[in-house]
Amino acid sequence: MSVAPPHSSLLGKQSGNVARRKAQNVVMLSLCMLAAGLAILVLGLVLFFLLSKGFSSLHLSLFTRPPDNIDIKKGGMIQSIFGTLVLLGIASCLGLPLGILGGIYQLEAKGKFASTVRFFTDVLNGIPSIVIGIFAYAAIVYPVAQAHPGTGFSAYAGGFALGILMVPTVMRTTEEILRLVPFALREASLGLGATRWRTMWSVVLPAARGGVITGIMLALARIAGETAPLLFTILGSEYFSTHAVLGGHAHVPTLNAPIDALPLRIYNYSQDVNPDRQAQAWAGAVVLISLILVLSIAARFATRGNMQEEK
Amino acid sequence: MLNSFTQTWKGAVLAALGLALLGGTSAQAQQITGAGATFPAPLYLKWFQEYKNATGAQVNYQAIGSGGGIKNITAHAVDFGASDAPMNAAEMAAAPGILHIPTVAGAVVVAYNIPGVGPGIHLTSTIISDIFLGKITKWNDSQITRLSPGTKFPSTSIFPVHRSDGSGTTNIFTTYLGEVSPEWKDSVGAGKSVHWPNGLGGKGNAGVAQLIKQNDGGIGYIELSYAVTYNIPYAGVRNAKGKFIYPSVENTSIAAEGVTLPADFRKVITNTSAPEGYPITGFTFLLVYKNGTRPEVKKLLEWCLTTGQADAAAQQYAPLPPSVKRRALAAVASMR
Repeated sequence: MSVAPPHSSLLGKQSGNVARRKAQNVVMLSLCMLAAGLAILVLGLVLFFLLSKGFSSLHLSLFTRPPDNIDIKKGGMIQSIFGTLVLLGIASCLGLPLGILGGIYQLEAKGKFASTVRFFTDVLNGIPSIVIGIFAYAAIVYPVAQAHPGTGFSAYAGGFALGILMVPTVMRTTEEILRLVPFALREASLGLGATRWRTMWSVVLPAARGGVITGIMLALARIAGETAPLLFTILGSEYFSTHAVLGGHAHVPTLNAPIDALPLRIYNYSQDVNPDRQAQAWAGAVVLISLILVLSIAARFATRGNMQEEK
Repeated sequence: MLNSFTQTWKGAVLAALGLALLGGTSAQAQQITGAGATFPAPLYLKWFQEYKNATGAQVNYQAIGSGGGIKNITAHAVDFGASDAPMNAAEMAAAPGILHIPTVAGAVVVAYNIPGVGPGIHLTSTIISDIFLGKITKWNDSQITRLSPGTKFPSTSIFPVHRSDGSGTTNIFTTYLGEVSPEWKDSVGAGKSVHWPNGLGGKGNAGVAQLIKQNDGGIGYIELSYAVTYNIPYAGVRNAKGKFIYPSVENTSIAAEGVTLPADFRKVITNTSAPEGYPITGFTFLLVYKNGTRPEVKKLLEWCLTTGQADAAAQQYAPLPPSVKRRALAAVASMR
């Protein structure tokens, strides 16, 4: 009887093990909570600083007037807000068709080329935005300047750079979302005799609408805050660049002239020594964050609307 | 659901196409685009706002630094560039037919932030050079305190600030130091951007001014108007005749009048021999092509050289001396 009773030893070991595992659990869980808490804390601090510094400088003139270089206090940044919206519009013209169609392609096509495309999309996603800016300068600004001296920096060039930045995000989210649409839906459509294109357009895409729109909104929110690609492409402007069309009955944005953007204006003003300019930079940051917040909330609503319709 | 989706889709595509088509037509001809020097930017921005009020023409000037101004006019990406540094031989070769049109003269002041010390301490070129070379590191160094007997200096460390971007202000400052200090000329040299032995870089005159303000013991070089506007103390500098000159529009003008400019205006006015002249000054230039520049730009230049001159002094810039103004107007008239 030199052997210890097996039960008691096993039990003893087990109870120690359980305690250790429980402790491990508690430690890991608290680490996770700490990390999550820190992430929220950082977001909270950013918002707190932004609002405490920027809120007091939020004046109506910010939204109604361009910068005033004689009486700085009176100036606003309407042309920057306007410019950011125009740039988002141009970027969407380029980024959405390419991104959505590319996403569909990656979902539908198989084989070597498709995986190559996917690989390069991922590479594109990793290219720093400033490099895209230099590319847009070399591809658009410089050649245009050679052909028409005195021009080159334009909303087109900026929108082009931002559009390129949108493509990988939109492409990837579109593909992932479309993949979630039940295969049975497609089979039903194909079984009824619809072509693959008709199936995609009328069945799969509508079913995934909310997700696709969320992807678009996220991509827009991402590029709305980009500064680096704009440094090389839009130059910046103090003016509200529009011109008359249809014999003066309507005014449209001038796209082949320099334009302003919120992140660029914030960057420039933050470098300024003038306290009024600095205050305007903070206020501009609040406006930019609000714009991005609106886009994110719009994305939420798009998704929710879809789910209600599904019911 | 299906229908509404297709409709939103179609609507979005149509709206996008509409934007692209309508926006495509141009109003470029009404707008003049310029970019470059930050040194005269406060004056230029004021000028162009007044010009718009007077003529309706929009002049979009972006202060991206003299280096950027030269690059962009060389690439023809702007209607005019602006620089405080005359273009060097290599840059001239890359932009055939470029003209330098002086607009105003400005002083580069040595601004500082020493706790408890007000404006107007005395500095010599040797001391400025030694500070930026890192050889003098404390504000209470006897070489500094000796020159301003009435002032009590703290033992704060000196925190030199310079420009991080290609800058005409840097060109004026380093040209001056190179002219008066052989050691500076050999070790650092002169140019729009040089290899600084120590210190921190700020972007634009405004960036440097901000760094000086934020750091106790800070010292840096900025355009007079930035120092005055943002209330940063600056030093009196000993000129070639041995007199300590506290920079102002008047003694900038005296230095500017004392210089003989070459036919193409490409010269920095440093170390003037005028007894009352401030030694670190320079003209700032607008860069345009002699041929092919739009008539609107020519009109703008004429305005700057005539009506605009009246605004200069209030913004801490020296208007052009009459002889320089006459020659600059002749250069503008030669554009076609």
